[in-house]
Amino acid sequence: MTGAAPLPLTVLTGFLGAGKTTLLNRLLRQPALDGTLAIINEFGAIGLDHLLVETSEERFALLDNGCICCTVRDDLVTTLTGILARRDKGELASVTRILIETTGLADPVPVLHTLLVAPALSGRLAVEGVVTAVDAVNGLATLNAHPEAVKQVGLAERIVITKTDLASDAELERLRIALGLINPAARVLEADMGHVAAARLIGTGFDPDALGRAAVDWFASATAPAGFVCSDPQAGDPGHVHGPGCGHHLPAGVVRTGHAGIETHAFVIDQPLSSPAFFRWLEYLTLLKGESLLRMKGLVELDDDRDRPLLVQGVQHVLHPPVRLPAWPDQTRGTRLVFIVRGIPRDVIERTLARFADVDAAAIKNPARGAMAASGNMAA
Amino acid sequence: MSAVHAVSDLVLTNGRIYTVDPARSSAEALAVRNGRIIAVGTDADVRPHIGPETRVVDLGGRLAMPGIVDIHTHMMMGGQAELFELRFGNTLRREAILDQVRAAAETTPEGKWIIGAQWGSDLLALFNSEESLALLDAASLGRPVMLRDDTYHNRWVNTAALRLAGITEDTPDPDQGSFGRDPSSGRLTGIMIEAAAGLIERTIVASGHYTEDMDRAAVAHSIATLNQHGVTAFLDAAAMQPVLAALKGLDDRGLLTAWASGAMPVTEPSFLFGVAGEELFALRDTFRSRHVRPDFTKIFLDGVPGARTAAFHEPYTPDAVFGCCFRGTTLATVPELVRWIGRCEDLGLSVKIHCAGDAAVTMALDALDVVRSFNGPTRLTHHIAHASYIRDADIPRFRELGMGADLSPFIWFPTAFLEGHKQTMGVERATRFWPNRDLLDAGALMAGGSDWPVIPNPNPWTGIEGLVTRQNPHGDFPGESLWPEQALDIATVLEIFTINSARMMGLGDVVGSLEIGKSADIIVLDQDVLTCPAGAIGKTRVLQTWFEGRLVHGTEALA
Repeated sequence: MTGAAPLPLTVLTGFLGAGKTTLLNRLLRQPALDGTLAIINEFGAIGLDHLLVETSEERFALLDNGCICCTVRDDLVTTLTGILARRDKGELASVTRILIETTGLADPVPVLHTLLVAPALSGRLAVEGVVTAVDAVNGLATLNAHPEAVKQVGLAERIVITKTDLASDAELERLRIALGLINPAARVLEADMGHVAAARLIGTGFDPDALGRAAVDWFASATAPAGFVCSDPQAGDPGHVHGPGCGHHLPAGVVRTGHAGIETHAFVIDQPLSSPAFFRWLEYLTLLKGESLLRMKGLVELDDDRDRPLLVQGVQHVLHPPVRLPAWPDQTRGTRLVFIVRGIPRDVIERTLARFADVDAAAIKNPARGAMAASGNMAA
Repeated sequence: MSAVHAVSDLVLTNGRIYTVDPARSSAEALAVRNGRIIAVGTDADVRPHIGPETRVVDLGGRLAMPGIVDIHTHMMMGGQAELFELRFGNTLRREAILDQVRAAAETTPEGKWIIGAQWGSDLLALFNSEESLALLDAASLGRPVMLRDDTYHNRWVNTAALRLAGITEDTPDPDQGSFGRDPSSGRLTGIMIEAAAGLIERTIVASGHYTEDMDRAAVAHSIATLNQHGVTAFLDAAAMQPVLAALKGLDDRGLLTAWASGAMPVTEPSFLFGVAGEELFALRDTFRSRHVRPDFTKIFLDGVPGARTAAFHEPYTPDAVFGCCFRGTTLATVPELVRWIGRCEDLGLSVKIHCAGDAAVTMALDALDVVRSFNGPTRLTHHIAHASYIRDADIPRFRELGMGADLSPFIWFPTAFLEGHKQTMGVERATRFWPNRDLLDAGALMAGGSDWPVIPNPNPWTGIEGLVTRQNPHGDFPGESLWPEQALDIATVLEIFTINSARMMGLGDVVGSLEIGKSADIIVLDQDVLTCPAGAIGKTRVLQTWFEGRLVHGTEALA
């Protein structure tokens, strides 16, 4: 039957050598991930052989803690619809969540697109977004050299720094700053010897309270003054960056990251929005600027029901189905939007919101003026 | 002070040269080297460029000007019809048509198609009978036959054609089309209505009837026709793969005597067949050559007012089929248009949007407004094709948004088209047609296009006269003017047909005016269109057409 609650689903990505495999291997042993069905390219690739207790058929393998691994044979939709059909029949009843590892793919967006738009999967999955693994030792060099790596970080819901035991404190600090410059909103976790608390990496599907709290956290992180370009003339060395709390000053150029042009724009709107107008604007934004829009997330106050905010999320041209939350997650009301973009000026978003979402320009505010100017000034 | 003067290949001298440069200046002479203009001025200015090898042409005081740029043509159809198909007027009756078919069948190899046009749509009832089909079968001597009607929407085919298309008495009607059946017997008659016509056309294409050699010959024939009328650059407004391949093939052989651009349809049009959209865009660089620029795409946003398929803000006149309040429909939504325009801008392609009704115009402008708001300025110029019925409030938006107005076809004067519009829209609305003066005053970029073969030939001079007089240049509808307040002066009109069209084609720095460095695309006329009576402009003959300094029409000696 299709009335079952949507299965929470997380996409795990990361550059080659980022330690995804080790991470996944360790994650699947944790009790918090009991009931996880992991979709991977091949069993051998993640070194699970010693955990396998049963391979009842070619594509399915049961781990000793009850997790299931499944390899993709034809395509992802076929694999997932097969799993959902078996679950509907009462098989795979223990499965409570899905984790997809995008082995060998630099760009997780096609996978997200498939998950969110395939008619056969409609309403069956609660896509929680992307977890991106970044290597503590080589991560910064990778970010500086590969725009695809920057994109993986930019669109992440959560970021895991792997191999922290192999990096110096200074290396770690620089990486944290770089990650904060690219994606100030995502929660950053550190995995020690491949270990990270699984419960902190995954969400809770469509649980509206948790979704609301996560959105508030996201917005708070995105607007917190951390990791910005120092404009203090006394500090010398213009363009250098410093970390949260202005602790360490790093020389300009160390955090170079071919991500000049990656910016985070946050908006507060003190005016309830009309749903058709807002979604018309959002459609135009994704149609015309999808390539440059790494991530967007927002709590939206619509004029048809001001007590129940709408959670909207998107990655590039792909929008998650919006979720009506039962109440505002904190004391603050009013629309909050965060965009992580590559080359979309803030004023384009502001002007087009006013124009096509029928918003009074005076009602659109910058919640973190000054602090948010950061990454736009970064020299490549 | 001595100057070094490059020796030219060609000098035109003793002329009245109207350059259409920004100063609208005049000159007597002009020198050309390697196809480009190297000097413009008085005879004395240009004389030092004459060397022993220079060809010197005495214009005998005649008017010369830049070659005409036609912003809207369909190159394949006109040439194919003239070279390879039976052509008969829509006044020809059944027996005479059958005589032509029989004569063609006698010289057509067995198995080869006979294609012809255009029978009058008033013959539909007569042809839609078993008796007529039997006569057509007899005349065709076993060859498959397809005859197009004068609307180009419907066909009459014989039994051999039905067989090749796999159509039997049991075949269900296609979507948006039908097979004609004899009212008394219910049996097929070979009449193919709307989408049914496409089944036959596709069968012919699939049979390999149109070879690349034929395509090239057809396009070459069309280009020769354009050259004859003084046209040296054109934009094919629905350029499918065979058109682009033919243009490239001609250019590779040094036979393309005009600058060519093509607008690749974003979806397969109802009257053309083959790959379209992304699949076609992906091929565009294989067709690019020195003179071929496949840098446009085409979107059909509505139909035509006479058939009530154009989209208007106000309803059509009441009608038995559509009722009281039908406004026509658009074939795309604003977001769909936004997506296409955005995608084309990403690819560096300009979009030509067919908009026959004022609501379609509004929608196209709305979509461009969205794109400009998100994307900022662009070097691309998008077009509204047939910018003719336009709501007052939309007129300033052309300039504000940088939307080019493609004025085509040449029907800004009383015509049979207008009579049809009066029936479907009422006289008052129908005659608020082509607000060209208002567009000019609002700063819109307007360009001239023929839409040939929608009109019988691409002669621009009738169109040019009509823009000035707003009266029918062929002498039909004597004494009638269409919205005369919208008339333009001749100098403005010449800009519309030269430099403006060049800009809208993205060739403003190459053609469109006679300036140093530009292509030597020059026409010599038999009269001075700037000073002759406006009512005589349409009779202008082009004595010579030069393309890149090569004579491609006329003779060097001017009588």
